Amino acid sequence: MPSLPLFLSQLFNGLATGLLLSLISAGLTIIYGTLGVLNLAHGALFMVGAYAGFVALQWTGSFVLAIIGGMVGALVVGLLMERVIVRYYYQRPPEDQILVTFGIGIVITELVRLVFGGIAKPVPIPSWGEGITRLGFLFYPTYRIEMMAIVAVALVLLYILLYKTRIGMIVRAGIEDSLMVNMLGINVYRVFLLVFGIGAMTAGFAGILNAPVLAVTPDMGEAFLVMSFVVVVIGGVGSFPGAIVGGIIAGEIISMTSMFSSAYSHVMLFAIMAVLLAVRPQGLFGIEGRE
Amino acid sequence: MILRRLARYSGGRPWVAELITLIVLLISPLVLPLVGVSADVSSRILIWGLFGLGFDILFGYTGLLSFGQAAFFGTGGFVSAFLLTQTGMQNDVFLSLMIGMVAAMAAGVVVGFFTLRRSGIYFAMITLAFAEMFHFLELSPLSAWTGGENGLTGVPMPIVGIESWHFQIASGWSLYYYIAAFFFVGYVIAHRIVLSPFGQVLMALRDNTPRALATGHSVRKYKLAAFVIAAGYGGIAGGLLGVLQSYMPPDAVAFHTSGQLVMQGIIGGAGTLFGPLVGAALWLGMQDFLQDVPAIAAAWMLILGVVFVILITAFRQGVLGAVRQIFVARVPEAAHAKTELSAEVTRRHRVAGVPDEHTNMDEVPDHFIRSDVGEHQRDLMIVPKGAAADGVALSCTHLTKHYGGISANEDITLSIPEGQLRGIIGPNGAGKSTFFKMLAGEVVPTSGHVYLHGADVTGLGVTAVSQLGMSKSYQINELFSKLTVAQNLSIPVLARLRGEFRPDMLKSMHQVPGLHGQIEATLELVNLENRTEVPVTELAYGEKRRLEIGLALANAPNVLLLDEPLAGMSPRERADTVQLLQQIRAGRTLVVVEHDMDAMFELAEYISVLQEGRLLAEGTPEEIKNDQRVQDAYLGGMEEV
Amino acid sequence: MSLLEIDKINSYYGDSHVLFDLSMHVGEHEVVALLGRNGAGKSTTLKSLMGAVKPQDGTVKFDGEDIRGLPPYEIAQLGIQLVPEERRIFGSLNVEENLQLASLSAPNAWTIDRIYEYFPRLKERRRSRGTDLSGGEQQMLAIARALIRDARLILLDEPFEGLAPIIVQDLLGVARQLAEEGRTIIIVEQNVAAALSIAQRVYIINNGHVVYEGTPADLQERPEIMHEYLGV
Repeated sequence: MPSLPLFLSQLFNGLATGLLLSLISAGLTIIYGTLGVLNLAHGALFMVGAYAGFVALQWTGSFVLAIIGGMVGALVVGLLMERVIVRYYYQRPPEDQILVTFGIGIVITELVRLVFGGIAKPVPIPSWGEGITRLGFLFYPTYRIEMMAIVAVALVLLYILLYKTRIGMIVRAGIEDSLMVNMLGINVYRVFLLVFGIGAMTAGFAGILNAPVLAVTPDMGEAFLVMSFVVVVIGGVGSFPGAIVGGIIAGEIISMTSMFSSAYSHVMLFAIMAVLLAVRPQGLFGIEGRE
Repeated sequence: MILRRLARYSGGRPWVAELITLIVLLISPLVLPLVGVSADVSSRILIWGLFGLGFDILFGYTGLLSFGQAAFFGTGGFVSAFLLTQTGMQNDVFLSLMIGMVAAMAAGVVVGFFTLRRSGIYFAMITLAFAEMFHFLELSPLSAWTGGENGLTGVPMPIVGIESWHFQIASGWSLYYYIAAFFFVGYVIAHRIVLSPFGQVLMALRDNTPRALATGHSVRKYKLAAFVIAAGYGGIAGGLLGVLQSYMPPDAVAFHTSGQLVMQGIIGGAGTLFGPLVGAALWLGMQDFLQDVPAIAAAWMLILGVVFVILITAFRQGVLGAVRQIFVARVPEAAHAKTELSAEVTRRHRVAGVPDEHTNMDEVPDHFIRSDVGEHQRDLMIVPKGAAADGVALSCTHLTKHYGGISANEDITLSIPEGQLRGIIGPNGAGKSTFFKMLAGEVVPTSGHVYLHGADVTGLGVTAVSQLGMSKSYQINELFSKLTVAQNLSIPVLARLRGEFRPDMLKSMHQVPGLHGQIEATLELVNLENRTEVPVTELAYGEKRRLEIGLALANAPNVLLLDEPLAGMSPRERADTVQLLQQIRAGRTLVVVEHDMDAMFELAEYISVLQEGRLLAEGTPEEIKNDQRVQDAYLGGMEEV
Repeated sequence: MSLLEIDKINSYYGDSHVLFDLSMHVGEHEVVALLGRNGAGKSTTLKSLMGAVKPQDGTVKFDGEDIRGLPPYEIAQLGIQLVPEERRIFGSLNVEENLQLASLSAPNAWTIDRIYEYFPRLKERRRSRGTDLSGGEQQMLAIARALIRDARLILLDEPFEGLAPIIVQDLLGVARQLAEEGRTIIIVEQNVAAALSIAQRVYIINNGHVVYEGTPADLQERPEIMHEYLGV
């Protein structure tokens, strides 16, 4: 039996990972639910955020500006992607949509590799995040705690955006019935662009935030892409609460399992996803019959 | 010119393409070195081509886009490599490869069980996820067997021979021939599969899955079979990779392996079998070729990505698809419906776009009305009826359907005797379409039963009902839009003659007894005999409606449900279709839902009227016309206001 | 010149030809009923007006401007509003949010309070989610969404379908009030009596074209026409 400190520490770890996954998956699921497009370039946008943040950090030396830089960089790439290519695909078969976002993801990744090279870029922990903090009997890297708090705040902001603002109301209605939103005089294509932008920005934000923890390489987004799929399956397509709950569950599964067997930690997550697929295919918060 | 003639010649002769392939494979080692392509690269291209044969069957022919084929490439590769390096089997390369393939197919059954419950984008997403699970398995928990991040080294070269004569294959061109042998056999098998009745059903599945299901095919089983076949191809290709490199790399199970397969398949052209091979040749061959140009070498993946995006946007059918279009056949491009409504439907329910065309009334042939009805009936099969002693073809008792709190149908009991043409009418909101769907097996009733020739078919589903002899034709055409008229009709006939599933992958269509006869008879009956090879997209609307009825007829039903057969027709087409319905009555029971009252009263012997989900009245057309309750139902109760 | 002039439009659902050279006109402040059996093309006519279905040819002139082919959101902004047959209330939003959403792009939007005066029932249920409303309440909300936009032309697609007679009476009252206030309305209905009680003019559509045009009084004097095209 694992000891209490280990247990709590892993619980905490799982929450940290989980919240980050929630944030990334929230962007993915909103795009999927509103536009019906599975954005396979989402991982690349996460990565762009990290690199844009890195560049901003080089220029300004401020991590806060790096975060903003990351968000803006991913936003710009995301908006370009939607305006130049993706929006012409709304009337095309779904397989084509997924293929083109996949292709765009590769193009983005390779462009970054060409420009920055394949060696990891250093994004150091900001000064306000250095060191270890003590929580009761737990010792935890300060930055990871701060990161968790920032992500939680970001999720709350996203929640407010979706549920307490006019724009959010339009997006939620669009997830449900975009044609009716159209018929009520709202330009749904602008809504799609907005949703795509929000999704890209959240991915980029997560990317730069996570950069001090993980090596910044052109391929860093791939693992998170797959994880976010698992979260969407668990949480349900188009569901913001589903992304949050699903993300936390995913983080905890990985973390808890690694206490017993680090080898199977990720495999366990996939196994649970499989069970859920068989038993409740629409996910925890999803709508039945909705693909 | 030559290509066109060659294509036409080889149309009915599969061995032509196979022979050409064999020749090309054999002489390649003489030609390729002249253009600077090495044996290693050639072998690698073949391996990806082999991997792609399975992928093309799954995606190009069945329409299932999987981003997780690396799972099977890795399973086959690692099982085979493990056997060859860690057990005493190093002399049995062939056997190990075979075992690897079987292991991959077993993995295909398991993964397919979970993933095939969903379709479209969701399916693509979860295949990716499952492949990643395999990746994690390979790297960590199973690393004792797979070598983890290091992979498995020391995979031996094969030894071929019989009895005492042995020949050790060396790397280079002799290994190429070994691998080419696998590719050739793999190609022949794949070729036969797509030409077989099994393959024809796969293509129908890709085109219009619900209709394939309603026609009597077990979609689930066909999909799983295609998935397992693709897994098998992946498995053997993976095993061969290990042999080629003398090393089984862990990244064989990585996402980018699946991604590379998809890209090669699309670039080369989906649905051509050789597409992935061409894609691999472009990818690997060009890469090898250009490797001396440093600027390009570094940007190679970027160039491929850009090419990929351009191809999907502008040349969706890929290199070979474009070649085929120019030189060989008219490949019908399914246009996409341009309404907001249908764009929304596409976004949500993944319905394939239907081309929008104008009805050209002049195309309705004059000689539509046949006088010699009897002959066609003789040729067209009708399934013998079940043994219901009371002569009732179709009946229902207390049929009820609730959706949440809303009652769509309430306690409907009616019975249709053999040979009758029953009309079902009712004002809007009467619940006719839900009722009809329950009869057809598309919707499971909340309570009540449906009996077909006395047998309880409640909740059995459309496939079972179809196999039992009841078919439905739809209000909105549900055709196989990428196929020709004759190919469309072959689908229901194949279900009738082969049952809901038959893995006759290596048989040819000519070996299905009675297939051509049944198709011919149906064509004559719906008067489309001079349009057999025409792709559906080029038919006029009236012809498409006739094909729609033909699809239901070709199933040899003795009970035929027709949902608004006259929908969207001009007056002239209506008259012709009424005639058609009169002609197909013989030996069958017909149930027709229609709003065209004139037609209904001309056709129907007996009419059931629904209102607000319930059965309001039944009687002969005369009786119904004179029934005050029915008049009130339609005219909305004038007295109430 | 009429507010709305439809001239020989042909509409398709997929490749099913539903409207054949259909023409009709609606003057400002008129209430026009579109009658006909199922499948006649009444709903498709309304959807063609709203841009959910794009007519292939012919013209649709609203206030003199051809709106054929415009996307639905532009047509809505011009002042046309469809109340769809399925109502299409946003289930995940509450009553008030449904109304707010509807009013967003309308320059002359009513205040929510004014809508509540009209529909007191909706005020009681203002915080209820769309999915929790009864059929009649949903229909009321759907009509309210058009009203809050101060739509110049309201298209009612089978507003009374599937509702209990008492609710139909309620809604009829609302519709009558709207008509009395001079709103321009096209109402598609299978409930002939209800439609005739508020309409000033009637079109009957059969198999995709107009087969009768007249006043309710005229129509009631020709029961054979009603029987042929509406009845059995």
